[in-house]
Amino acid sequence: MIKVISPGLQTTVQDGGRIGFYEVGMPPSGAMDKYSYTVSNLLVGNNENAATLEITYLGPVLEFQEDALIALTGGEIPPKINGEAVPMWEALSVKAGDRLSFDFVKQGARVYLAVAGGIDVPVIMGSRSTYTLCGIGGLEGRPLQANDQLVIGADRLHSVQAGARVADELIPLFSKKHEIRVVLGLCSYRLTEESKERFFSIDWSVTPEANRVGYRFKGERLNFVEREQPFGAGSNPSNVVDLGYPIGSIQVPDGVEPIALLNDAVTGGGYATIATIISTDLNKMGQIKTNETVKFVSVSIEEALAARKEEKDKLNAIKEQLYLGTGGVINE
Amino acid sequence: MARYEYGGDEFIFVELSEEMGLEVNFQAMAITEKLKEEELPGIVDICPSNASYMVRFNPDEIHPDVLIAKLQHLEETVSIDDIEISSRIVDVPILFDDPWTNEALMRFRDRHQDPNSTDLEYAAHINGFDSKEELIKAITDSPYLVSMIGFVPGLPWCYQMVPRERQIEVPKYVRPRTYTPERAFGFGGAFAVIYPVEGAGGYQLFGTAAAPIFEKEQRSPDFKDSLTFPRQGDIFRYRSIEMDEYEKIRETVEKGTFRYLTKDITFKPKNVLDDPKGFSEDVLGRLYA
Amino acid sequence: MSNHQKILAAIPGIFFRKPSPEEADYVNEGDVVNEGDTIGLIEVMKTFYEVKAESAGVIESFLISNEEIVEAGQELAVLNGQSK
Repeated sequence: MIKVISPGLQTTVQDGGRIGFYEVGMPPSGAMDKYSYTVSNLLVGNNENAATLEITYLGPVLEFQEDALIALTGGEIPPKINGEAVPMWEALSVKAGDRLSFDFVKQGARVYLAVAGGIDVPVIMGSRSTYTLCGIGGLEGRPLQANDQLVIGADRLHSVQAGARVADELIPLFSKKHEIRVVLGLCSYRLTEESKERFFSIDWSVTPEANRVGYRFKGERLNFVEREQPFGAGSNPSNVVDLGYPIGSIQVPDGVEPIALLNDAVTGGGYATIATIISTDLNKMGQIKTNETVKFVSVSIEEALAARKEEKDKLNAIKEQLYLGTGGVINE
Repeated sequence: MARYEYGGDEFIFVELSEEMGLEVNFQAMAITEKLKEEELPGIVDICPSNASYMVRFNPDEIHPDVLIAKLQHLEETVSIDDIEISSRIVDVPILFDDPWTNEALMRFRDRHQDPNSTDLEYAAHINGFDSKEELIKAITDSPYLVSMIGFVPGLPWCYQMVPRERQIEVPKYVRPRTYTPERAFGFGGAFAVIYPVEGAGGYQLFGTAAAPIFEKEQRSPDFKDSLTFPRQGDIFRYRSIEMDEYEKIRETVEKGTFRYLTKDITFKPKNVLDDPKGFSEDVLGRLYA
Repeated sequence: MSNHQKILAAIPGIFFRKPSPEEADYVNEGDVVNEGDTIGLIEVMKTFYEVKAESAGVIESFLISNEEIVEAGQELAVLNGQSK
């Protein structure tokens, strides 16, 4: 068991997501930064889809009540065990009675804590991920609270030694200025040519309204092509007949502030979507904080697929290092 | 002509038409139904929507351009004349103009087109009805096709099966509300909806559904197999009820014994498109037989 | 002996000196605070995080204004801690 002494700002149980129920309006939830999430599980030998804790901005204080192998990945919220700094991106062994706490966030926004065996909460529609909007999944459908007890499961495939770590070149770096790649399309025909151009040329700043549902950006007003609205669409020029929203799609209600829809977002609605963040860069989005800036970069579908392959290759390289012993870095 | 668009590297979005209509909704249903039957590798989600549809796929298993070619082929070969829809007719009791909805909407008058009236009064006025009672009658006289599910789990977009000139149309709020009560019955564009859970929303609010459409505890029989009740292709009849019936239904919901009145139906899009009035009468006749 | 300490923002967001627009500031410059007293709020992700004094003392100055945007780790106020 792991006891929650203090919960942090928003700490939730997340796994690979609730996949295959988009049709009934169920968003996937799941880890926002899938790369860091997957690596945390690999580091402790878990099933790649095992449930972890997703820690946002401000870390929790956790007390382990049994010995465990853990790993922390993601943004830099420096972890400490019993007050002593410990490394991220490395398998760590903790003893019963040890306390894990965190310093203030330095880079990135979210840390994943994997425990060998995974966090054991009930599986709802194929996933342990927390979806707070409807109060399902995770621990009672909500973020952690003080005095919660987390059960460690048995979702483990490999035996990994404490000290195993990820090679530096496979650890992502985070800054305060971000480039996020998108594929332009969906209903982008609704924007004027000038606004399309502005969308890609200005620095958008991330507002405090930036969470697992979506990120809202401030920049400047975008304009829609004037038209007589089609039947059923509603009267605002940013309205379309209600349609499905891809995960990572960007909409601009009333042209005022773009919103990128993320893991816990609504699955459809009546606003024109103009572009979609490529799956690889959804991981980066999960590490962006309020007040940081984003520049959107237009890429082709082939570039998106190449980025996806590159990331998959990195994960395969980590698996080889950890499980085949070919060049795995072991700390003394 | 349909538009095929990449939604990043995991989605294809297909817009069949920019405007809403029963025919285009049936077309989206027909294509997505056929796609389901084909069981292609790498397909993750198939989401029919109002005048469009969306497919989520794993590009490691199927290249997006291969998928688009497949979907274009379906568009050319699938006809709504060939399909039969098997679904349910459902009696959905609504308490219109109720105190909870009115309390909620009065809190957001500054975000509404007409701060001096309720959403019902406003909608009646702009649709040319003399009173809100007449609007309620128009809403409840003819049944609706559940044309899309989404936004949040289980929310049904419902499109009334009447000719275009009799469609009720209302704008969404000028700025969305930050609060909508659970089970609120709303209207936006040409669509009626029920909000499954409390949350933000921009549709005009007319009343409250007595029974849930989302039940995470899965207490009542209608939710035994799924957290959500509505299915795309269902036919919903919204029925206006009084407070005493509302309270009786709430009691059965609390006890976990509530069950929607439903009848199974198999129909062809042509039945609806050729004679919407006759189809509606037939549907209501079967539901309450 | 005076003992100047900086109170830092643990998270990024919008800093508020009062619990709600209609209410008075939590504390003013020159006020005495106890350990654990709330001196402001940071709003992010529709969540409000209370900023607390880590020790007793006098709030000497605020380094940022009400409703200003703050970064994680940014200095919010100077506390003149009580010498022991």
